[in-house]
Amino acid sequence: MIEEKIICIGCPLGCETTLKIDDHGEVAKIMGTKCKEGRQFVLEEYRSPVRVLTATVLTRNSARPLFPVRTNRPLLKTQLKDAAKALKGVKVKPPIRIGQIILSNLMNTGVDVVATDDLIS
Amino acid sequence: MKFSDVDVAVIGSGPAGMAAAIKAKQEGAEHVLILERQEQLGGLLHQCVHNGFGLLYFGQDLTGPEYACRFVEKVRDLGIEVLLETMVTQISVDRKLTAVNSREGPIHLQPKSIVLAMGCRERSRGQLSIPGTRPAGIFTAGTAQRLVNVEGFIPGKKVVILGSGDIGMIMARRLSLEGVEVKGVVEILPYVGGLIRNEVQCLHDFDIPLLLEHTVTQIHGEQRVEAVTIAKVDKNKRPIDGTEQNIECDTLLLSVGLIPENELSRMAGVDLDPLVGGPVVDERRETNIPGIFAGGNVVHVHDLVDDVSWEAEIAGAWAAKLSQKGDFEKKGKIILRPGRNIRSVVPQTISGQSDVTFYIRVKEMEEKVGLRIGDFYHRAFRVVKPSEMIKVDLLQKELNLLKGNLSELVVECQKGE
Repeated sequence: MIEEKIICIGCPLGCETTLKIDDHGEVAKIMGTKCKEGRQFVLEEYRSPVRVLTATVLTRNSARPLFPVRTNRPLLKTQLKDAAKALKGVKVKPPIRIGQIILSNLMNTGVDVVATDDLIS
Repeated sequence: MKFSDVDVAVIGSGPAGMAAAIKAKQEGAEHVLILERQEQLGGLLHQCVHNGFGLLYFGQDLTGPEYACRFVEKVRDLGIEVLLETMVTQISVDRKLTAVNSREGPIHLQPKSIVLAMGCRERSRGQLSIPGTRPAGIFTAGTAQRLVNVEGFIPGKKVVILGSGDIGMIMARRLSLEGVEVKGVVEILPYVGGLIRNEVQCLHDFDIPLLLEHTVTQIHGEQRVEAVTIAKVDKNKRPIDGTEQNIECDTLLLSVGLIPENELSRMAGVDLDPLVGGPVVDERRETNIPGIFAGGNVVHVHDLVDDVSWEAEIAGAWAAKLSQKGDFEKKGKIILRPGRNIRSVVPQTISGQSDVTFYIRVKEMEEKVGLRIGDFYHRAFRVVKPSEMIKVDLLQKELNLLKGNLSELVVECQKGE
Protein backbone atom coordinates (compact mmCIF):
# COMPACT_ATOMS: atom_id res chain seq x y z
CA MET A 1 0.00 0.00 0.00
CA ILE A 2 1.43 3.39 -0.98
CA GLU A 3 0.17 6.86 -0.18
CA GLU A 4 -0.36 9.64 -2.68
CA LYS A 5 -0.89 13.24 -1.56
CA ILE A 6 -3.24 15.28 -3.73
CA ILE A 7 -4.49 18.82 -3.15
CA CYS A 8 -8.16 19.01 -4.07
CA ILE A 9 -8.72 22.01 -6.32
CA GLY A 10 -12.41 21.36 -6.85
CA CYS A 11 -13.16 24.53 -4.89
CA PRO A 12 -11.19 27.40 -3.31
CA LEU A 13 -10.80 25.56 0.02
CA GLY A 14 -7.89 23.51 -1.39
CA CYS A 15 -8.13 20.51 0.95
CA GLU A 16 -4.93 18.49 1.33
CA THR A 17 -5.93 14.87 0.82
CA THR A 18 -4.19 11.52 1.06
CA LEU A 19 -5.03 8.53 -1.13
CA LYS A 20 -4.11 4.99 -0.16
CA ILE A 21 -3.23 3.04 -3.27
CA ASP A 22 -3.29 -0.76 -3.21
CA ASP A 23 -0.86 -3.09 -5.02
CA HIS A 24 -2.98 -3.01 -8.20
CA GLY A 25 -2.79 0.78 -8.42
CA GLU A 26 -6.41 1.12 -7.30
CA VAL A 27 -7.54 3.72 -4.79
CA ALA A 28 -8.33 1.91 -1.55
CA LYS A 29 -9.04 4.88 0.68
CA ILE A 30 -9.39 8.67 0.44
CA MET A 31 -8.62 10.82 3.48
CA GLY A 32 -8.82 14.57 4.07
CA THR A 33 -11.70 15.54 1.78
CA LYS A 34 -14.59 17.50 3.21
CA CYS A 35 -17.30 16.77 0.65
CA LYS A 36 -18.66 14.26 -1.87
CA GLU A 37 -17.56 16.38 -4.84
CA GLY A 38 -14.08 16.53 -3.37
CA ARG A 39 -13.85 12.73 -3.16
CA GLN A 40 -14.92 12.48 -6.80
CA PHE A 41 -12.43 15.18 -7.77
CA VAL A 42 -9.37 13.62 -6.16
CA LEU A 43 -10.30 10.20 -7.51
CA GLU A 44 -10.33 11.67 -11.02
CA GLU A 45 -7.20 13.69 -10.25
CA TYR A 46 -5.42 10.43 -9.43
CA ARG A 47 -6.74 8.44 -12.39
CA SER A 48 -6.73 11.03 -15.18
CA PRO A 49 -6.57 14.70 -14.21
CA VAL A 50 -8.70 17.10 -16.25
CA ARG A 51 -8.91 20.90 -16.53
CA VAL A 52 -11.19 23.46 -18.15
CA LEU A 53 -9.21 25.47 -20.72
CA THR A 54 -9.80 29.22 -20.91
CA ALA A 55 -8.26 31.33 -23.62
CA THR A 56 -8.84 34.19 -26.04
CA VAL A 57 -9.32 34.07 -29.80
CA LEU A 58 -8.76 36.75 -32.43
CA THR A 59 -11.65 38.79 -33.84
CA ARG A 60 -12.63 40.31 -37.18
CA ASN A 61 -14.86 43.37 -37.65
CA SER A 62 -14.67 44.29 -34.00
CA ALA A 63 -13.10 47.07 -31.96
CA ARG A 64 -11.97 44.38 -29.53
CA PRO A 65 -8.87 42.58 -30.81
CA LEU A 66 -9.50 39.53 -28.61
CA PHE A 67 -12.52 37.61 -27.40
CA PRO A 68 -12.64 35.26 -24.37
CA VAL A 69 -13.61 31.58 -24.70
CA ARG A 70 -13.58 28.39 -22.64
CA THR A 71 -14.14 24.68 -23.11
CA ASN A 72 -17.64 23.62 -22.10
CA ARG A 73 -16.18 20.55 -20.38
CA PRO A 74 -12.75 19.79 -18.96
CA LEU A 75 -9.99 18.36 -21.16
CA LEU A 76 -7.30 15.93 -20.12
CA LYS A 77 -4.48 17.90 -18.53
CA THR A 78 -2.09 16.50 -21.10
CA GLN A 79 -4.18 18.01 -23.93
CA LEU A 80 -4.12 21.62 -22.66
CA LYS A 81 -1.07 22.87 -24.58
CA ASP A 82 -2.16 21.39 -27.89
CA ALA A 83 -5.67 22.71 -27.38
CA ALA A 84 -4.33 26.20 -26.74
CA LYS A 85 -2.33 25.94 -29.99
CA ALA A 86 -5.41 24.78 -31.89
CA LEU A 87 -7.21 27.97 -30.83
CA LYS A 88 -4.50 30.21 -32.29
CA GLY A 89 -5.90 29.99 -35.80
CA VAL A 90 -9.49 30.72 -34.78
CA LYS A 91 -11.05 34.08 -35.70
CA VAL A 92 -14.54 35.14 -34.68
CA LYS A 93 -16.77 38.00 -35.79
CA PRO A 94 -19.80 39.65 -34.20
CA PRO A 95 -22.55 39.11 -33.31
CA ILE A 96 -21.80 36.42 -30.71
CA ARG A 97 -23.86 35.59 -27.65
CA ILE A 98 -22.38 34.28 -24.43
CA GLY A 99 -22.48 30.45 -24.41
CA GLN A 100 -22.48 30.20 -28.22
CA ILE A 101 -20.28 27.45 -29.68
CA ILE A 102 -17.15 28.88 -31.30
CA LEU A 103 -15.51 25.59 -32.23
CA SER A 104 -17.17 22.21 -31.88
CA ASN A 105 -15.42 18.93 -31.15
CA LEU A 106 -12.03 20.46 -30.34
CA MET A 107 -9.27 18.08 -31.51
CA ASN A 108 -11.85 15.26 -31.72
CA THR A 109 -12.28 15.29 -27.96
CA GLY A 110 -16.02 15.81 -28.11
CA VAL A 111 -15.48 19.02 -26.14
CA ASP A 112 -16.77 22.32 -27.54
CA VAL A 113 -15.22 25.76 -27.21
CA VAL A 114 -17.83 28.33 -26.19
CA ALA A 115 -18.01 32.13 -25.90
CA THR A 116 -17.74 33.54 -22.37
CA ASP A 117 -18.93 37.04 -23.30
CA ASP A 118 -21.18 38.85 -25.79
CA LEU A 119 -19.52 40.35 -28.85
CA ILE A 120 -21.68 43.09 -30.29
CA SER A 121 -19.21 44.99 -32.43
CA MET B 1 -33.33 60.64 -14.55
CA LYS B 2 -32.56 64.01 -13.11
CA PHE B 3 -29.19 63.88 -11.46
CA SER B 4 -30.67 65.66 -8.44
CA ASP B 5 -32.84 62.61 -7.67
CA VAL B 6 -30.18 60.00 -6.95
CA ASP B 7 -30.87 57.90 -3.87
CA VAL B 8 -27.82 55.65 -3.95
CA ALA B 9 -24.73 56.43 -6.03
CA VAL B 10 -22.26 53.57 -6.51
CA ILE B 11 -18.72 54.37 -7.62
CA GLY B 12 -17.25 51.56 -9.68
CA SER B 13 -18.94 48.68 -11.51
CA GLY B 14 -16.75 45.67 -10.81
CA PRO B 15 -17.96 42.66 -8.81
CA ALA B 16 -18.45 44.98 -5.81
CA GLY B 17 -20.16 47.94 -7.47
CA MET B 18 -22.68 45.94 -9.47
CA ALA B 19 -23.55 43.72 -6.49
CA ALA B 20 -24.02 46.79 -4.26
CA ALA B 21 -26.21 48.57 -6.82
CA ILE B 22 -28.38 45.49 -7.43
CA LYS B 23 -28.86 44.95 -3.71
CA ALA B 24 -29.68 48.62 -3.12
CA LYS B 25 -32.35 48.51 -5.84
CA GLN B 26 -33.79 45.23 -4.50
CA GLU B 27 -33.95 46.76 -1.02
CA GLY B 28 -36.19 49.54 -2.30
CA ALA B 29 -33.91 52.42 -3.30
CA GLU B 30 -35.66 54.01 -6.29
CA HIS B 31 -32.88 55.79 -8.12
CA VAL B 32 -29.67 53.82 -8.06
CA LEU B 33 -26.86 55.17 -10.22
CA ILE B 34 -23.58 53.45 -11.11
CA LEU B 35 -20.65 55.67 -12.11
CA GLU B 36 -17.98 53.79 -14.08
CA ARG B 37 -14.87 55.27 -15.65
CA GLN B 38 -14.42 52.51 -18.25
CA GLU B 39 -16.51 52.13 -21.39
CA GLN B 40 -18.31 49.04 -20.07
CA LEU B 41 -19.57 47.57 -16.81
CA GLY B 42 -17.53 44.87 -15.10
CA GLY B 43 -14.28 46.44 -13.94
CA LEU B 44 -11.37 44.06 -13.91
CA LEU B 45 -13.51 40.98 -14.58
CA HIS B 46 -13.12 41.42 -18.35
CA GLN B 47 -9.41 40.76 -18.28
CA CYS B 48 -9.79 37.78 -15.93
CA VAL B 49 -10.67 35.31 -18.68
CA HIS B 50 -9.80 32.31 -16.47
CA ASN B 51 -12.36 30.27 -14.53
CA GLY B 52 -12.83 29.89 -10.78
CA PHE B 53 -15.30 32.72 -10.27
CA GLY B 54 -18.69 32.23 -8.67
CA LEU B 55 -18.18 28.73 -7.25
CA LEU B 56 -19.63 29.93 -3.95
CA TYR B 57 -21.90 32.75 -5.13
CA PHE B 58 -23.53 30.93 -8.06
CA GLY B 59 -22.47 27.35 -7.31
CA GLN B 60 -20.94 27.31 -10.79
CA ASP B 61 -17.41 27.57 -12.11
CA LEU B 62 -17.47 30.75 -14.22
CA THR B 63 -14.86 32.86 -15.99
CA GLY B 64 -14.49 36.56 -15.16
CA PRO B 65 -16.52 37.77 -18.17
CA GLU B 66 -19.24 35.19 -17.43
CA TYR B 67 -19.42 36.34 -13.81
CA ALA B 68 -19.68 39.94 -15.01
CA CYS B 69 -22.41 39.10 -17.54
CA ARG B 70 -24.68 37.68 -14.82
CA PHE B 71 -24.52 40.95 -12.91
CA VAL B 72 -24.74 43.17 -16.02
CA GLU B 73 -28.00 41.45 -16.99
CA LYS B 74 -29.44 42.09 -13.56
CA VAL B 75 -28.36 45.73 -13.61
CA ARG B 76 -30.29 46.11 -16.90
CA ASP B 77 -33.34 44.12 -15.80
CA LEU B 78 -33.71 46.14 -12.62
CA GLY B 79 -33.43 49.47 -14.43
CA ILE B 80 -30.38 50.64 -12.54
CA GLU B 81 -29.02 53.79 -14.12
CA VAL B 82 -25.48 53.73 -15.44
CA LEU B 83 -23.05 56.46 -16.46
CA LEU B 84 -20.10 54.98 -18.35
CA GLU B 85 -16.81 56.69 -19.20
CA THR B 86 -17.54 58.91 -16.23
CA MET B 87 -14.89 59.71 -13.69
CA VAL B 88 -15.82 60.71 -10.16
CA THR B 89 -13.42 63.50 -9.28
CA GLN B 90 -14.65 64.58 -5.88
CA ILE B 91 -16.76 63.56 -2.90
CA SER B 92 -17.28 65.90 0.02
CA VAL B 93 -18.08 65.26 3.67
CA ASP B 94 -21.69 66.33 3.05
CA ARG B 95 -22.11 63.68 0.30
CA LYS B 96 -21.78 66.06 -2.65
CA LEU B 97 -20.34 64.18 -5.57
CA THR B 98 -18.70 65.60 -8.68
CA ALA B 99 -18.11 63.52 -11.78
CA VAL B 100 -17.06 64.37 -15.30
CA ASN B 101 -17.48 62.87 -18.76
CA SER B 102 -17.21 64.10 -22.33
CA ARG B 103 -20.99 64.17 -22.96
CA GLU B 104 -22.37 66.04 -19.96
CA GLY B 105 -19.19 67.75 -18.80
CA PRO B 106 -19.08 68.20 -15.04
CA ILE B 107 -21.94 66.52 -13.19
CA HIS B 108 -22.94 67.54 -9.67
CA LEU B 109 -24.90 65.07 -7.58
CA GLN B 110 -26.28 65.04 -4.08
CA PRO B 111 -27.09 61.35 -3.50
CA LYS B 112 -28.70 60.33 -0.22
CA SER B 113 -26.05 57.69 0.16
CA ILE B 114 -22.84 56.72 -1.61
CA VAL B 115 -21.21 53.30 -1.94
CA LEU B 116 -17.46 53.32 -2.56
CA ALA B 117 -16.60 50.32 -4.78
CA MET B 118 -13.46 51.44 -6.57
CA GLY B 119 -11.50 48.27 -5.87
CA CYS B 120 -7.74 48.34 -5.62
CA ARG B 121 -4.49 48.86 -7.47
CA GLU B 122 -1.39 46.77 -7.76
CA ARG B 123 1.79 47.51 -5.88
CA SER B 124 4.48 48.50 -8.35
CA ARG B 125 8.26 48.48 -8.56
CA GLY B 126 8.48 51.88 -6.88
CA GLN B 127 6.97 50.41 -3.72
CA LEU B 128 9.49 47.56 -3.60
CA SER B 129 12.79 49.41 -4.01
CA ILE B 130 14.48 46.75 -6.16
CA PRO B 131 17.95 47.99 -7.09
CA GLY B 132 19.16 48.02 -10.67
CA THR B 133 18.58 49.78 -13.96
CA ARG B 134 15.22 50.98 -15.26
CA PRO B 135 14.77 49.09 -18.52
CA ALA B 136 11.57 48.27 -20.40
CA GLY B 137 10.04 44.90 -19.61
CA ILE B 138 8.89 45.34 -16.02
CA PHE B 139 5.12 45.00 -15.64
CA THR B 140 2.67 44.44 -12.85
CA ALA B 141 0.92 41.09 -13.31
CA GLY B 142 -2.43 42.83 -13.88
CA THR B 143 -1.02 45.05 -16.62
CA ALA B 144 0.42 41.97 -18.32
CA GLN B 145 -2.98 40.32 -17.94
CA ARG B 146 -4.67 43.23 -19.70
CA LEU B 147 -2.07 43.18 -22.48
CA VAL B 148 -2.41 39.43 -23.07
CA ASN B 149 -6.15 38.98 -22.58
CA VAL B 150 -7.69 42.23 -23.83
CA GLU B 151 -5.26 44.11 -26.04
CA GLY B 152 -3.53 41.19 -27.70
CA PHE B 153 0.14 41.67 -26.87
CA ILE B 154 2.55 39.18 -25.33
CA PRO B 155 4.85 41.12 -22.96
CA GLY B 156 8.00 39.03 -23.53
CA LYS B 157 9.55 35.67 -24.32
CA LYS B 158 11.30 34.71 -21.09
CA VAL B 159 9.56 35.76 -17.93
CA VAL B 160 10.36 35.79 -14.23
CA ILE B 161 7.50 36.51 -11.83
CA LEU B 162 8.19 38.15 -8.48
CA GLY B 163 5.53 37.38 -5.90
CA SER B 164 3.10 34.47 -5.83
CA GLY B 165 -0.15 36.38 -5.67
CA ASP B 166 -3.08 34.86 -7.55
CA ILE B 167 -2.77 37.12 -10.59
CA GLY B 168 0.94 36.30 -10.87
CA MET B 169 0.31 32.54 -10.80
CA ILE B 170 -2.59 32.85 -13.21
CA MET B 171 -0.38 34.80 -15.60
CA ALA B 172 2.32 32.13 -15.28
CA ARG B 173 -0.17 29.60 -16.66
CA ARG B 174 -1.60 31.95 -19.26
CA LEU B 175 1.82 32.86 -20.63
CA SER B 176 2.93 29.21 -20.65
CA LEU B 177 -0.11 28.34 -22.75
CA GLU B 178 0.79 31.16 -25.13
CA GLY B 179 4.23 29.65 -25.63
CA VAL B 180 6.18 31.98 -23.32
CA GLU B 181 8.95 30.47 -21.20
CA VAL B 182 8.14 31.17 -17.55
CA LYS B 183 11.43 30.73 -15.74
CA GLY B 184 10.04 30.76 -12.26
CA VAL B 185 7.92 32.38 -9.57
CA VAL B 186 9.99 33.96 -6.81
CA GLU B 187 8.31 34.36 -3.41
CA ILE B 188 9.93 35.98 -0.37
CA LEU B 189 7.67 34.15 2.12
CA PRO B 190 7.91 30.42 2.96
CA TYR B 191 4.48 29.81 1.33
CA VAL B 192 2.53 31.02 -1.71
CA GLY B 193 0.72 34.35 -1.48
CA GLY B 194 -2.32 33.23 -3.44
CA LEU B 195 -4.70 30.30 -3.23
CA ILE B 196 -3.28 26.80 -2.99
CA ARG B 197 -5.46 25.74 -5.95
CA ASN B 198 -3.62 28.23 -8.12
CA GLU B 199 -0.27 26.81 -7.06
CA VAL B 200 -1.54 23.42 -8.24
CA GLN B 201 -3.32 24.32 -11.48
CA CYS B 202 -1.07 27.19 -12.59
CA LEU B 203 2.42 26.20 -11.43
CA HIS B 204 2.53 22.41 -10.84
CA ASP B 205 0.48 21.67 -13.97
CA PHE B 206 3.00 23.50 -16.14
CA ASP B 207 6.17 22.53 -14.25
CA ILE B 208 6.91 26.15 -13.39
CA PRO B 209 9.54 26.39 -10.62
CA LEU B 210 8.39 28.03 -7.39
CA LEU B 211 11.25 29.51 -5.39
CA LEU B 212 10.05 30.13 -1.84
CA GLU B 213 12.08 32.31 0.54
CA HIS B 214 13.75 33.97 -2.45
CA THR B 215 13.58 37.49 -3.82
CA VAL B 216 14.84 39.58 -6.73
CA THR B 217 17.84 41.62 -5.59
CA GLN B 218 18.88 43.21 -8.88
CA ILE B 219 17.45 43.99 -12.31
CA HIS B 220 19.87 44.02 -15.25
CA GLY B 221 19.61 45.53 -18.73
CA GLU B 222 19.82 48.98 -20.31
CA GLN B 223 17.07 49.27 -22.92
CA ARG B 224 15.29 46.05 -22.04
CA VAL B 225 15.44 43.66 -19.09
CA GLU B 226 18.27 41.18 -19.76
CA ALA B 227 18.40 39.27 -16.48
CA VAL B 228 17.49 39.43 -12.80
CA THR B 229 19.54 38.37 -9.81
CA ILE B 230 17.66 36.38 -7.21
CA ALA B 231 18.83 35.33 -3.76
CA LYS B 232 17.62 33.25 -0.86
CA VAL B 233 16.40 35.25 2.14
CA ASP B 234 16.79 34.68 5.88
CA LYS B 235 14.03 34.74 8.50
CA ASN B 236 14.02 38.54 8.44
CA LYS B 237 13.57 38.50 4.67
CA ARG B 238 17.10 39.77 4.10
CA PRO B 239 19.05 38.32 1.14
CA ILE B 240 21.74 35.82 2.20
CA ASP B 241 25.24 36.51 0.82
CA GLY B 242 26.53 33.86 -1.53
CA THR B 243 23.09 32.56 -2.59
CA GLU B 244 22.72 34.92 -5.57
CA GLN B 245 22.05 33.51 -9.00
CA ASN B 246 21.36 35.23 -12.31
CA ILE B 247 18.32 34.31 -14.36
CA GLU B 248 18.33 35.41 -17.96
CA CYS B 249 14.95 36.90 -18.93
CA ASP B 250 13.46 39.78 -20.90
CA THR B 251 10.47 40.42 -18.67
CA LEU B 252 9.79 40.72 -14.95
CA LEU B 253 6.21 40.55 -13.70
CA LEU B 254 5.32 41.84 -10.25
CA SER B 255 2.57 40.14 -8.28
CA VAL B 256 3.32 41.63 -4.91
CA GLY B 257 0.04 42.75 -3.45
CA LEU B 258 -2.85 45.11 -3.93
CA ILE B 259 -3.71 48.41 -2.27
CA PRO B 260 -7.26 49.80 -1.99
CA GLU B 261 -7.84 52.87 -4.15
CA ASN B 262 -8.25 55.61 -1.56
CA GLU B 263 -8.12 59.00 -3.29
CA LEU B 264 -11.87 59.65 -3.17
CA SER B 265 -12.22 58.20 0.31
CA ARG B 266 -9.53 60.54 1.61
CA MET B 267 -11.15 63.51 -0.08
CA ALA B 268 -14.43 62.75 1.65
CA GLY B 269 -12.70 62.66 5.04
CA VAL B 270 -13.13 58.89 5.41
CA ASP B 271 -10.86 57.38 8.10
CA LEU B 272 -8.51 54.72 6.74
CA ASP B 273 -7.27 51.59 8.49
CA PRO B 274 -3.49 51.24 8.03
CA LEU B 275 -3.75 47.46 8.55
CA VAL B 276 -5.96 46.80 5.52
CA GLY B 277 -5.32 49.99 3.58
CA GLY B 278 -8.99 50.86 3.04
CA PRO B 279 -11.71 52.73 4.94
CA VAL B 280 -12.62 51.91 8.53
CA VAL B 281 -16.18 50.55 8.40
CA ASP B 282 -18.81 49.26 10.79
CA GLU B 283 -20.94 46.13 10.28
CA ARG B 284 -23.16 47.99 7.78
CA ARG B 285 -19.98 48.83 5.87
CA GLU B 286 -20.65 52.48 6.67
CA THR B 287 -17.57 54.66 7.05
CA ASN B 288 -17.10 57.35 9.71
CA ILE B 289 -18.84 59.75 7.30
CA PRO B 290 -22.61 59.20 7.61
CA GLY B 291 -24.15 57.98 4.36
CA ILE B 292 -20.85 56.94 2.80
CA PHE B 293 -20.50 53.15 2.60
CA ALA B 294 -17.78 50.94 1.16
CA GLY B 295 -17.57 47.31 0.03
CA GLY B 296 -15.29 44.87 -1.75
CA ASN B 297 -11.59 45.32 -2.43
CA VAL B 298 -11.71 49.05 -1.74
CA VAL B 299 -12.18 48.11 1.93
CA HIS B 300 -9.70 45.25 2.12
CA VAL B 301 -8.32 42.81 -0.42
CA HIS B 302 -10.38 39.62 -0.60
CA ASP B 303 -9.21 36.21 -1.81
CA LEU B 304 -12.38 35.44 -3.74
CA VAL B 305 -14.63 37.49 -5.97
CA ASP B 306 -17.64 35.84 -4.33
CA ASP B 307 -16.79 37.52 -1.03
CA VAL B 308 -16.22 40.84 -2.81
CA SER B 309 -19.79 40.74 -4.10
CA TRP B 310 -21.25 39.54 -0.81
CA GLU B 311 -19.54 42.25 1.17
CA ALA B 312 -20.63 44.93 -1.28
CA GLU B 313 -24.22 43.69 -0.94
CA ILE B 314 -24.06 44.51 2.77
CA ALA B 315 -23.02 48.07 1.87
CA GLY B 316 -25.70 48.28 -0.83
CA ALA B 317 -28.49 47.08 1.45
CA TRP B 318 -27.69 49.55 4.22
CA ALA B 319 -27.14 52.39 1.73
CA ALA B 320 -30.66 51.72 0.42
CA LYS B 321 -32.08 51.73 3.93
CA LEU B 322 -30.42 55.01 4.80
CA SER B 323 -31.67 56.60 1.57
CA GLN B 324 -35.23 55.76 2.60
CA LYS B 325 -35.16 56.36 6.33
CA GLY B 326 -32.49 58.95 6.88
CA ASP B 327 -29.17 58.76 8.70
CA PHE B 328 -28.74 56.03 11.29
CA GLU B 329 -28.89 56.89 14.91
CA LYS B 330 -25.55 55.71 16.27
CA LYS B 331 -25.93 54.21 19.70
CA GLY B 332 -22.95 52.22 20.86
CA LYS B 333 -19.65 51.61 19.22
CA ILE B 334 -17.48 48.58 19.92
CA ILE B 335 -13.98 48.56 18.49
CA LEU B 336 -12.55 45.24 17.26
CA ARG B 337 -8.92 45.01 18.26
CA PRO B 338 -6.59 42.54 16.48
CA GLY B 339 -4.88 40.43 19.15
CA ARG B 340 -2.41 37.56 18.96
CA ASN B 341 -1.54 36.49 15.38
CA ILE B 342 -4.30 38.63 13.84
CA ARG B 343 -3.32 41.03 11.09
CA SER B 344 -6.67 42.60 10.40
CA VAL B 345 -10.37 42.51 11.18
CA VAL B 346 -13.13 43.96 9.01
CA PRO B 347 -15.42 45.55 10.09
CA GLN B 348 -13.24 47.48 12.48
CA THR B 349 -16.18 48.62 14.61
CA ILE B 350 -19.66 47.26 15.31
CA SER B 351 -22.75 48.73 16.91
CA GLY B 352 -23.91 45.41 18.35
CA GLN B 353 -27.37 46.11 16.96
CA SER B 354 -27.33 44.20 13.70
CA ASP B 355 -25.89 41.04 12.12
CA VAL B 356 -22.18 41.12 11.35
CA THR B 357 -20.05 39.45 8.69
CA PHE B 358 -16.43 39.50 9.83
CA TYR B 359 -13.44 39.01 7.54
CA ILE B 360 -10.33 38.15 9.52
CA ARG B 361 -6.77 37.70 8.29
CA VAL B 362 -4.01 36.13 10.37
CA LYS B 363 -0.39 37.31 10.44
CA GLU B 364 1.37 33.97 10.20
CA MET B 365 0.61 30.39 9.36
CA GLU B 366 -0.17 28.44 12.52
CA GLU B 367 -1.47 24.95 13.22
CA LYS B 368 -4.08 23.86 15.74
CA VAL B 369 -5.41 27.20 16.90
CA GLY B 370 -8.66 28.53 18.27
CA LEU B 371 -10.04 31.77 16.88
CA ARG B 372 -11.75 33.90 19.51
CA ILE B 373 -13.83 37.04 19.32
CA GLY B 374 -14.16 38.44 22.83
CA ASP B 375 -15.31 35.67 25.10
CA PHE B 376 -18.44 34.70 23.24
CA TYR B 377 -17.22 33.29 19.92
CA HIS B 378 -14.80 30.43 19.46
CA ARG B 379 -13.87 28.23 16.48
CA ALA B 380 -11.09 25.65 16.21
CA PHE B 381 -8.86 25.52 13.12
CA ARG B 382 -6.47 22.77 12.05
CA VAL B 383 -4.45 25.43 10.28
CA VAL B 384 -4.75 29.18 9.63
CA LYS B 385 -2.86 30.94 6.82
CA PRO B 386 -2.44 34.61 5.89
CA SER B 387 -3.40 33.73 2.32
CA GLU B 388 -6.81 32.41 3.40
CA MET B 389 -9.20 34.93 4.89
CA ILE B 390 -11.50 33.68 7.62
CA LYS B 391 -15.17 34.62 7.40
CA VAL B 392 -17.39 34.67 10.49
CA ASP B 393 -21.10 35.42 10.40
CA LEU B 394 -22.67 36.50 13.67
CA LEU B 395 -26.35 37.15 14.15
CA GLN B 396 -27.62 40.08 16.11
CA LYS B 397 -29.09 37.77 18.76
CA GLU B 398 -25.65 36.29 19.37
CA LEU B 399 -24.39 39.81 19.95
CA ASN B 400 -27.03 40.35 22.61
CA LEU B 401 -24.56 38.63 24.91
CA LEU B 402 -22.53 41.82 24.65
CA LYS B 403 -24.61 43.78 27.12
CA GLY B 404 -23.06 46.43 29.27
CA ASN B 405 -20.65 49.17 28.47
CA LEU B 406 -18.31 47.10 26.35
CA SER B 407 -16.17 49.36 24.17
CA GLU B 408 -13.64 46.88 22.82
CA LEU B 409 -13.51 43.26 21.66
CA VAL B 410 -10.25 41.42 21.11
CA VAL B 411 -9.97 39.03 18.16
CA GLU B 412 -7.16 36.52 18.61
CA CYS B 413 -5.73 33.13 17.74
CA GLN B 414 -5.05 30.99 20.76
CA LYS B 415 -2.47 28.27 20.51
CA GLY B 416 -3.13 24.63 21.19
CA GLU B 417 -6.90 24.45 21.04
